[in-house]
Order: sequence, then C-alpha cells, then structure tokens
Amino acid sequence: MKPSSTATGTIIGLTLVFLIGPFIVIILAALTAGNNLAFPPDGLSLKWFIKVFTVESFRISFFISMFLAVFGTLTALIVGVPAAYAIARYDIPGAGAIQLAVSSPLIVPGIIVGLALLRYLVIPTGFTIMAALFLAHAALILPYAVRVVTSSLQNLRVDVEEAALILGCSRLGSFFRVVFPNIRGGILAAFILGFVTSFNQVPVSLFLSGPGVRTLPIDMLAYMETTYDPSVAALACLLAIMSVGIVFLAERFLGFSRYV
Amino acid sequence: MSDFVSVDKLTLAYGDTVAVPELSFGIGKGELIALLGPSGCGKTTTMRAIAGLMTPKSGTIRIDGRDVTRLAPSLREVGLVFQSYALFPHLTVFENVAFGLKMRKAPNIRERVMAGLESVGLRDFANRLTPDLSGGQQQRVSLARSLVVEPKVLLLDEPLSNLDARLRLEMQMVLKDIQKKTGVTMIFVTHDQSEALALADRIVLMKDGRIVQSGLAEEMYSAPRSRFAADFFGFENILPGRDGGLLAWRPTAIRLGDGPHEGTIRGMSFGGDYRTYVIDSALGEIKGSVRAGLPAFGEGEKVRFDLPEGEAVRLEAA
Ligand SMILES: Nc1ncnc2c1ncn2[C@@H]1O[C@H](COP(=O)(O)OP(=O)(O)O)[C@@H](O)[C@H]1O
Ligand SMILES: [Mg+2]
Repeated sequence: MKPSSTATGTIIGLTLVFLIGPFIVIILAALTAGNNLAFPPDGLSLKWFIKVFTVESFRISFFISMFLAVFGTLTALIVGVPAAYAIARYDIPGAGAIQLAVSSPLIVPGIIVGLALLRYLVIPTGFTIMAALFLAHAALILPYAVRVVTSSLQNLRVDVEEAALILGCSRLGSFFRVVFPNIRGGILAAFILGFVTSFNQVPVSLFLSGPGVRTLPIDMLAYMETTYDPSVAALACLLAIMSVGIVFLAERFLGFSRYV
Repeated sequence: MSDFVSVDKLTLAYGDTVAVPELSFGIGKGELIALLGPSGCGKTTTMRAIAGLMTPKSGTIRIDGRDVTRLAPSLREVGLVFQSYALFPHLTVFENVAFGLKMRKAPNIRERVMAGLESVGLRDFANRLTPDLSGGQQQRVSLARSLVVEPKVLLLDEPLSNLDARLRLEMQMVLKDIQKKTGVTMIFVTHDQSEALALADRIVLMKDGRIVQSGLAEEMYSAPRSRFAADFFGFENILPGRDGGLLAWRPTAIRLGDGPHEGTIRGMSFGGDYRTYVIDSALGEIKGSVRAGLPAFGEGEKVRFDLPEGEAVRLEAA
C-alpha cells in the first residue's frame, strides 16, 4: 500500500467508526434486559422497544412531529417551487436577495429562530405554540426545497417550455404539462429531505414546547430528564431505522443522491 | 400589401441593446425563404419575434392579413422547429407529436399523429422516448410535432446545421417535399450560403440585424450587389476597378498560367474538382482555382494570372 492510500483508508475507517459507532452503541444499549441505560448491555431483550409504544407522550409527540414534517414540508414546497421557478427562469431584480432570504434558515442557528419566535411571536401575540412550530419547520425546510428544485429546473431547457407555448399552452398550462412532470423527481427528493430534516429537528423546536405540545425529539429530551430508562435508546433506534429506510428507498427508486 | 407574412419596421432588443433595428420584409404564400447571415446577425431573434416568444420594441408582424404583433404564441398558428429541437423529454415520440393536437382538442389525433410520423419516416418510433433518439431523428419528431397542427407559417432555426452531409441532403428533400405537399409557408434560418441556395426559393441576406440584399437564390448567387454579399457568396477576390468602383471574381473566374499580373503561390487547397491557390501579388492576396486534371503549381512558384473583366461582377456599394 502506498502511504496516501493508507491515509485514505484510515480516514474512511475513522469516519465509519464515528458515524456508525454511536449507532451500534445505542442499539446494544436499547437491547438491554436491565433497567438502566448502560453499555455494554446487561443481558439482551426487546422489552424496551415494546415499552416505547406504551408511553402516551411519545405517541402524541410522534403524531405532532409527523404532522409538522408532512405539512411543514408541503407548505415549504408550495412556496418554494414557484420561488425556485421564478429564480431559475426570470431575470428578476433582487434574485440574489431572495436566494439569501430563502437560505437564511440554513445560516441562522435554529435555536435563535426558536427563541425569537417564542419571544416575539408567541408571547406578545398569543400565537399558539403549534402554529409557531409549524411556521418554524416550514421556514426551516424552505431552503432545501428551493435548492433541490432549482437544480432540477436547471436541467430542463427553457425552449421546451417555449415549444409548449407555441403548441397552444398558456404559461400556467406549460408549467403543469411540461415543467412539473420533468421536475417531479426533484420535488419528491425535496420532500424526503425536508421530511427527514423536520422530523429530526432539535434546536428550532427546543423553545417551542408547551403543555402537551412537543415534537418527538424534544419529548425524548424531556423524558430523559425524569426517567433514565433505555426506552429512549430504543426509540432513537426506531427513528434512525425509519430515516435510513426512507433515504434507502428514495435512493433505490429515485436516485436520491442525484438531487441532493 | 399582398404578402402572406409581412414584417414591418420591426425593432427587437434585449434590454437596451438593439439586436434588430427596423427590419422589413415580406413573404408570399407557400414560399420557402432563407434568412441567411453570419452568426449573431439576429436570425434567431427575428424568428422568435415572429413566433411570439419575444415582444418587439416597435414595428408590426402580420400573418395572413392579421396583425399578430401582440398576440400570444399559442394563437399565432405558427410552428417553430428549434435549433435544439426542444422535445418534451418526459413524453414518447407519439405524445410529443400529439401535444399540439391535444391542446386544440382536435379529432382523429391518433391517425393524424401517425400520418405526421409517416411523413418524416418515423412511424416505427412512436413509442420511443425522445432522449433515446439520434439528433436527426429528434429533429424530425420536432418537425412532425410542428406540422400536424397545420400552422400557417413554419419556422425552422438552423435545420441543417447539426446534421452530417448525408442527413443534410435527406432533410433538404424532406423539407422540399413538405413544401410541395402541404404548401405551408416556410422561413428557415441558416448561416451557410450553400444550404440557403440548395433549399430556398428566395434568400434574405442579413448583417447586424439589417437586410443587405434579398432576392431569388440564383440572383443572389450570380449578382451580389455589395462587398458583404459578394464575400458571403464566394466571390473571394474583390478589387477596385479602373473607374474606382469595385469588381468581384470567384476563384474559378481567375485565369492562371498566363496574363498581365504576376504573383507567388503561397498555398493550395484541394477541393475535389478544383485546386484553389492562394497567390501573393502586387494586387494583394488572390485566390484562383484550376481544374484538378490540369498540371499543378508548386508552393513558392512564380505564376502569371489574369483577372478577366468580362467575368467580374460589378458591386454597387462597399
Ligand atoms: N438572450 C439574449 N440576451 C442578450 N442578447 C442576446 C440574447 N440572444 C441573442 N442576443 C444577441 O442578439 C444578437 C442576435 O442574436 P441571434 O438572433 O441569436 O443571432 P443569430 O441567430 O443570427 O446567430 C447577438 O448580438 C446576440 O449576442
Ligand atoms: Mg441563431
């Protein structure tokens, strides 16, 4: 082996250890037969995986997170697709500014966004926590939606739309008949990326919780503060498996990595 | 005015940059005309304006007596075969050709599409996806897609430029055939004088968004009026005459081996029937052709030549 490939091998090895290592530790800790979160596990059993499903607050926060991920992402797409289209196709003044505004949730730390929404929206106006969460998640996903859709729009030649106009389409008609079918893959990819991002989101949601209204990751944090049993580890495993499964299927059927 | 398509004082601009200033020309019904000119002279821009993809700064466009200057592209009844073909990548060949008919909710779509594909020789390709086709096939799909809706005017942007020599000849015949069978008025754009001569009834020669000369193909070929037109149609020797006007000769009009002038052979290019020599002389650079069968001159050789005034074309303008 040449020194450079030894180094490359080492780097890849370390990367895998740090990426996959924690995952393995958590799986093993969750499979414990004992009553404490510990590594190595104290015997093996599935009892904590079963316990997860009996915790009432997990069930509620799971549905809240699911709702935010699905509808937050849809909202981001409804705003983001036209925005991406406008940026890609029209020489609009201030396109750069729009791009920046739309990407700002990527740059501004999520915890600040959450705190600001709480302090300046929820407290003074009586906006509900749920509505604030919804807004925050949609805004968080918007940049991903714009980015992914913009890049698939760039692969579609403008003259294809012009051909549709000449053949009898209106502008809107050409969007739905020609543009949309050709960027469907990109939109689906953006949906999956947005869904996973929203579902796993911690910082933005941290301050935005109230009685009975918490996202699943925040609920897990809260649970751990009072109960230090391995069910949180079991839940973390299930969530990780869900995320990996979604991305795997997306890659398999969509060629997900083409879009991201 | 009896022109079927008429363009009157059309000014087209990108932002503040005028690409085509006050262009006017007319086309008779069923004519096949070529917009000819070097790259960047405004041919595509003019086509796009006729198709309605670009709003003119001023001027009017009329088709079949109707002012279409401000009309949406979908209402103009024109077809445009894009230089890039612009097929719908998510649709099959059949669906591409059917697109315009579906938009019009036309009857007998299936038969009309198949007839359209037949006319361009692609009947067997109906169910293929367009990105899988060769460039020449894509172009014919694009042509069929424009034709099945029976446009009043068919616009073609550089329809021959991306084809190899054999396909080019084939496409020329397809286009001539369409003109004969459908009688559709056609405007095609090219930067190549030989394509324009081979296909067009009439040629409109453009330079910097302006018309330099227009006329029947043969007239343009044999009697260019300006230095630019002469140069474009292969009159490679342009010299001042005795009276101060300009005279132009094709390389084949120059007589080599004898005559009042003398020069040195600098280079030769073999063109099948002819050898064309580049000669340095007191008159400047002269290009002269000799039939390939005759004895050849060597590089650096001194040669006498004649510029017969009877063979020259007299140019009106510089
Ligand atoms: N989208 C555009 N924006 C700005 N200038 C353009 C654009 N398209 C063409 N032009 C300019 O307009 C002139 C004519 O271009 P075009 O009509 O494409 O020429 P041709 O088809 O004869 O090669 C050129 O100077 C070109 O640079
Ligand atoms: Mg062009």
